[in-house]
Amino acid sequence: MIVPNNISDYFRNYREFEKEPKKWEQQCSKSLRIAVLSSFSNNGFKEILTEKCLQSDIFPDIYIGGYNQYFQEIINPDSAFHVFSPQMIVLFIDTSSLLGDEYLLPYGNSEKYRKAWVETKIEELTSLVQTIKEKCAAKIVLHNFEVPSYSPVGILESKQPFGLMKTIKDLNNRLQEAYKRDHQVFVFDFETFCSKIGKENIIDHKMYYIGDFRLKLDLLPRLCDEYLGYVKPLLGMNKKCIVLDLDNTLWGGVIGEDEINGIHLGLTMEGRPFWELQKFLLSLYQRGIILAINSKNNYEDVLQVFKDHPYMVLKEEHFAALRINWNDKVTNIREIAEELNIGTDSLVFVDDDPLNREMVKSEFPEVLVVDLPEDPALYLSTMQNVNDFNTFQITNEDKNKGKMYVKQRQRKDYQKEFTNVTEYLARLEIEVTIEEATPFTIPRLSQLTQKTNQYNMTTRRYTEEDISSFAEQDGYHVIALSVKDKFGDNGLTGMCVIKKDDATWEIDTWLLSCRIIGRKIEDVFLAYVLEKARKNNVTFLRGIFIPSKKNHPARSFFKDHGFKKNDVKDTMEYWEYDVNKEYPYPTFIKLIRR
Amino acid sequence: MKRLKQILINVLDIEEEQIKDETTPDDVENWDSFGGLMLALELEKEFDIQFTTEEVAGVTCIGDIKYYLKKHGIDLVNKNEIS
Repeated sequence: MIVPNNISDYFRNYREFEKEPKKWEQQCSKSLRIAVLSSFSNNGFKEILTEKCLQSDIFPDIYIGGYNQYFQEIINPDSAFHVFSPQMIVLFIDTSSLLGDEYLLPYGNSEKYRKAWVETKIEELTSLVQTIKEKCAAKIVLHNFEVPSYSPVGILESKQPFGLMKTIKDLNNRLQEAYKRDHQVFVFDFETFCSKIGKENIIDHKMYYIGDFRLKLDLLPRLCDEYLGYVKPLLGMNKKCIVLDLDNTLWGGVIGEDEINGIHLGLTMEGRPFWELQKFLLSLYQRGIILAINSKNNYEDVLQVFKDHPYMVLKEEHFAALRINWNDKVTNIREIAEELNIGTDSLVFVDDDPLNREMVKSEFPEVLVVDLPEDPALYLSTMQNVNDFNTFQITNEDKNKGKMYVKQRQRKDYQKEFTNVTEYLARLEIEVTIEEATPFTIPRLSQLTQKTNQYNMTTRRYTEEDISSFAEQDGYHVIALSVKDKFGDNGLTGMCVIKKDDATWEIDTWLLSCRIIGRKIEDVFLAYVLEKARKNNVTFLRGIFIPSKKNHPARSFFKDHGFKKNDVKDTMEYWEYDVNKEYPYPTFIKLIRR
Repeated sequence: MKRLKQILINVLDIEEEQIKDETTPDDVENWDSFGGLMLALELEKEFDIQFTTEEVAGVTCIGDIKYYLKKHGIDLVNKNEIS
């Protein structure tokens, strides 16, 4: 199967699908029988709807009604349509079919006639739907009608007592009223769909005259996406919870680096996209969607934003689960699902970092991972296009379904999870380059000491002159680390300053940009330094940790990597590593020594 | 005319050796009237042209497609390239 680009691609994929439907049936976790009845040429519906279903893990069985045969097929109890016994029915009658001659000649008749026409049509449509309802329990998606955008009376259309546009608007309103409290029938607002697309773009006139196509073929995929908005809740596949990153997702910038006054959130050009995204998320919360946080931050920093930032629309109390820590996002997601007692398949994950997204996608294919565009200005519209939060109503059944899935997931033991993360990292093809400081890297190395707050052992700030002087002295090593993986180049993102003594090397500075944490980069770095020390017959590598307000993420580094604490002065911790003790390189990272 | 050839293959699922001027819809399983419309749409998209309704309806063989493309200024450098 190929990723469809043109309409013919859907047909190509469908031909593939038709060769081995059984294979697809086994692969998909859900299945559904869908009937589409329309008043005009229906080519393409089957192929495109099939693709859309397969993409959503649904095995479709699709019945396409005969060309403008909807009436007979519904009325005749033995029709192929009824024999098919659909679970979902789309009824798409277009405005010009419904109006017939009046579509182009609306004012050949009186106002009274048009009013009576609405009554007649409502009567016909509801009794047609009633016929379906009496025969089956399928959900019925009933298109409403596109309000024509052309009037023969031109600017006087609005002066007509009961004009053409008013007629259709009235019909739509009546239809909506008729099914407002109906649990089986859902009026699909095709009129709004057309407005969204632009009514001039709805029809391809050439195609209309050649083959009676009332809708541009290119629009079918979008229309089918709308249908999936009904299919998913019908199959209990609607999403229930949005798991959110914070830095550069809910606000611009990194709170740990930029601090509360430095992040973008609010009325500015940079801040408004985030502010409006938060309002959108709040609106989802208000309709019953659960919100959760999964971010690499210091808890206190985030708490301060919740409490003190004037444009922080989302508050702590809106989040059902908080995972603000330095664990990997996969572990956090698993914990969130368990804590909330919902399946990972009802989660949506939103993170600006493509790497985190890939990590979550590969571990949880069932999680809907939103591919946020690079530009925050497009965040809101991207999120608004996620059509997966729909519910027909909230039942207890829905709630229990979530629990069932959680139980299934729980059989995975921790060991396996760990292996998977390693496997995942291996698949990243990480490449680490380590080299001594050069005149070219010194400005960046200095900048790193100035700007890195979180994964920084000693938070010693050095100027370019400082770094140069270290680099020139025999008593120091200044080592720079760059990271690359298959998703891109992170550049020079780590460094250390080693103060050399005959028997002991002391780590004066050890820092990594938080962008690259959690990928065992620090292990490679340490293995490299230890190897170098060993070659120089050094006995001990001494680590220093100076706690700051912000370097909590680095706190356990020495402990986690086999150092022994041997002294504490004030808050300053001294750790030691016996250089002769082997420290293996992670096998899945390629090291380039320069 | 690699682009034409590729579109013919993609849309009609046609074998390369079948791509000849004289090939008609009757020779190709997927070249029904709808296949013909898709073909027209994708050629329009690919070459950024607009066929008239008459042209779309008037295609009786692959040679006709080439004729209409040429009419719209699409230069068919070498006939042999597609056959």
